[in-house]
Amino acid sequence: MESPIDAFFREVLDDRTSVANQLEEIHGLAWEVMDSALLDLCRLRVAMLLDCDSELEVSNSDLDSEKIASLSEWSSSSLFNESEKACLRFTEEFIVDVSSIPDSSAFAVRECLGEEGFVNFVNALLVVEQRMRLQIVWRKIGEEVSV
Amino acid sequence: MTRSQRVTSSHFDNKFREALSLWQEEVVQLDLVDPVTTEVVRLRCADHHDCYT
Repeated sequence: MESPIDAFFREVLDDRTSVANQLEEIHGLAWEVMDSALLDLCRLRVAMLLDCDSELEVSNSDLDSEKIASLSEWSSSSLFNESEKACLRFTEEFIVDVSSIPDSSAFAVRECLGEEGFVNFVNALLVVEQRMRLQIVWRKIGEEVSV
Repeated sequence: MTRSQRVTSSHFDNKFREALSLWQEEVVQLDLVDPVTTEVVRLRCADHHDCYT
C-alpha cells in the first residue's frame, strides 16, 4: 500500500512517473539493505533537525517509545548502544555539513557496521535526507502557491 | 580538512548503487531547469559531497 509520503511525491511529480518510480525504488532499497530500527532512529533524528513534521509522524520500525523520546539526548543516554551512537553522530554531522565529517566519525560507523554496512548506511542516509529535504521544500512551495 | 580513505572496496550491493545512479540520471534529465543551471548545481553538489565519480 502506498504511504502518504509516497502519494505526496506522486502528486508533486505528476507525469514524471519515472522519477517518482526511481525515488520509491531507492527508498525501498535503503530500508532493505539497512537494519530498519537503526535507520529509523537516524531518519527520526534527521526529521528533528530539519523540522520535518510529516516524517516525525511516521514509524518505519518497532522503535521503543522511550528511545524515541530520548533521541535528542542520545549522546548521554544509556538507552543507545555503541552502534546507534556512532550512526547518530555521523547522521548529525552529515546533516549539518556533509563535507566536514571527521575521519573519527566515519571510522566509528565502519567499525560497527563493517565496510559494506558503512557504504550502505551512507547511501541510505543520503536517500532519507534527500527525500526529506524535497518534502520540506515542495510542501513550502505548495503552501505559498495556495495562499 | 583532510580525509583518509574510508573504504577500500567499491564492490558493494550493486543493486542499491545502480538504483541510486538511475535516480540521479532521471533527475538530471528533467527539463524544467536549463542545462547550464543543472550542471552548475550538479558540480557544486559533487564538490560538496567530495564525489569524483
